[in-house]
Amino acid sequence: MRLDTARYEARQRVRGSLALAALLGAFSILIVYLYPSIAEAGADIDALIEAFPESFQEGLGVEAYSTIEGFIAAELYQFIWILLLGLYMAYAAGGTFAGDIESKRLYLVLATPVSRTRVVVEKTIALLTPLLVLNLVIPLVVFASTVAIDYPLDPVYLLAVHVLSIPYHLVCLGIGQLLSVTFSRGNTAQLGGIATVFLLFLLDSVTVGTDLEWLGDVSPTRYIDPTEILLHENIYVGDSLLLFAVTLLLLFLSVVRFHDRDI
Amino acid sequence: MATIEVQGLTKAYGDTLANDDLEFSIERGEIFGYLGPNGSGKSTTIRQLMGFQSPTAGTATLFGADIRDQDALREVKSRIGFLPGEPAFNGSVTGEVFLDYQARLKGDSRRAELLELFTPPLERKIREYSTGNKQMLGLVQAFMHDPDLVIMDEPTSGLDPLKQEAFNRFLRRERDDGLTVFFSSHVLGEVRRVCDRVGIIREGRLVTVETVDDLLQRGGKRVRVHTDPPLTKADLGLGGVVDFEAEGRQAQFTFTGDYDELFEALSQHRIVDVEIDEPPIEEVFMHYYGGPQRTEERNDAA
Repeated sequence: MRLDTARYEARQRVRGSLALAALLGAFSILIVYLYPSIAEAGADIDALIEAFPESFQEGLGVEAYSTIEGFIAAELYQFIWILLLGLYMAYAAGGTFAGDIESKRLYLVLATPVSRTRVVVEKTIALLTPLLVLNLVIPLVVFASTVAIDYPLDPVYLLAVHVLSIPYHLVCLGIGQLLSVTFSRGNTAQLGGIATVFLLFLLDSVTVGTDLEWLGDVSPTRYIDPTEILLHENIYVGDSLLLFAVTLLLLFLSVVRFHDRDI
Repeated sequence: MATIEVQGLTKAYGDTLANDDLEFSIERGEIFGYLGPNGSGKSTTIRQLMGFQSPTAGTATLFGADIRDQDALREVKSRIGFLPGEPAFNGSVTGEVFLDYQARLKGDSRRAELLELFTPPLERKIREYSTGNKQMLGLVQAFMHDPDLVIMDEPTSGLDPLKQEAFNRFLRRERDDGLTVFFSSHVLGEVRRVCDRVGIIREGRLVTVETVDDLLQRGGKRVRVHTDPPLTKADLGLGGVVDFEAEGRQAQFTFTGDYDELFEALSQHRIVDVEIDEPPIEEVFMHYYGGPQRTEERNDAA
């Protein structure tokens, strides 16, 4: 495999990925530096959180702000890492094919002796660029800044959050990708990707603790919980494998859809 | 075996037949012009030939590979060069990076030679390119792997006249070396200058396939003349004057007769201004392939 297309496309994603890493890194540092003042308020904050409905607590993964683990899990990982980065992956993937089909850029690639399957696979690989860069940079930044404020996180579980969230982000990417090979308008696929991931997130968070909790089982957010990993130190490998299997299914469907469609 | 063999190729988009039972073939070493007004279905044929879209019915073969069979078509694609209409590129890379990428996909044995003929600013990002520069970059990538067949959608659009002429010369030279060319155009003059044979498509149907010589005899010229005093059709008293229209001191008509006679007739009048041009392709259709409705409209207007 020479991966010419993957390399060509990945190169174009490097700058954006670095910019995103810088932004998220700076935000992570800010969050971590806020912690000591929150910690001094201590038990009061947790009492306040206890007063919220369960679905709210679960949805935002807010359980305990009085520990660095609970605070970082909720403020940084549940919201920024899982929700926002999930939306970003769906959005980025949404643009890959639909945008290139809309602009007719894909013609110059498909005119060469490469198969459509290969094009899908390589473009998907290129989409991993931001994920790779962020997973290299953010854990280091977060760990270093918690050490700096003297509330160090357990690096093993911090790393676990990152490793286990990869399959989740891949599912978001797969959702965007499938929409992208289905629609011929870049905007439609991108906004569709964002809307789908966000609605699934809502479905998960509003049904928690209700009779309809099973409805949220279709949401990928149900199978990744940074609070559970960082605060309670529980790792559910089965959930991650399930997400990974769904990723492969979405990629397979994208290949099948792209193989036979008119461009 | 013909290089391109189109057999009953049909493409429907909903109720619209963009290509209707097309049938023609192109031999090795031939420049074939695919002529038709905008929206007549030229690009649809090209997209099917390249395997981007699959036919509703019928098929075509390139070097014997059936276009419905993606794997077979991929096998021969290294021998095919392609230029889409208004080629689109990723604007954030330089022309050089784009050509490097294309080179890895299909080769670039003739890149340096082509860059002497077509001169896009390779070191600049493609988003800064003019239409003409994009077209030249597209032409370089279409020919750089030394293909045996080149398929192009409106190849000279956006090129300045000098580059157009250079391109035509290049095309004829390559043809003499055995290259087969299939390209679309809506400009009759361009097709005339460079093609061996022409297929004319109108509203999805192939109206005729004929040699350029035959076409030349029918095409005629569009003549616009500004005289003082005004000119009438009777004043000219010439054969081969079609669609005569006058507006004030301006007259225009399509002329298919003898040029000497035309100039002799015109010399009897005081000519303020004269313009002799290729007829718009729509007129060729109207006169020679039927278009009663529009001709009547024109007569009414006149």
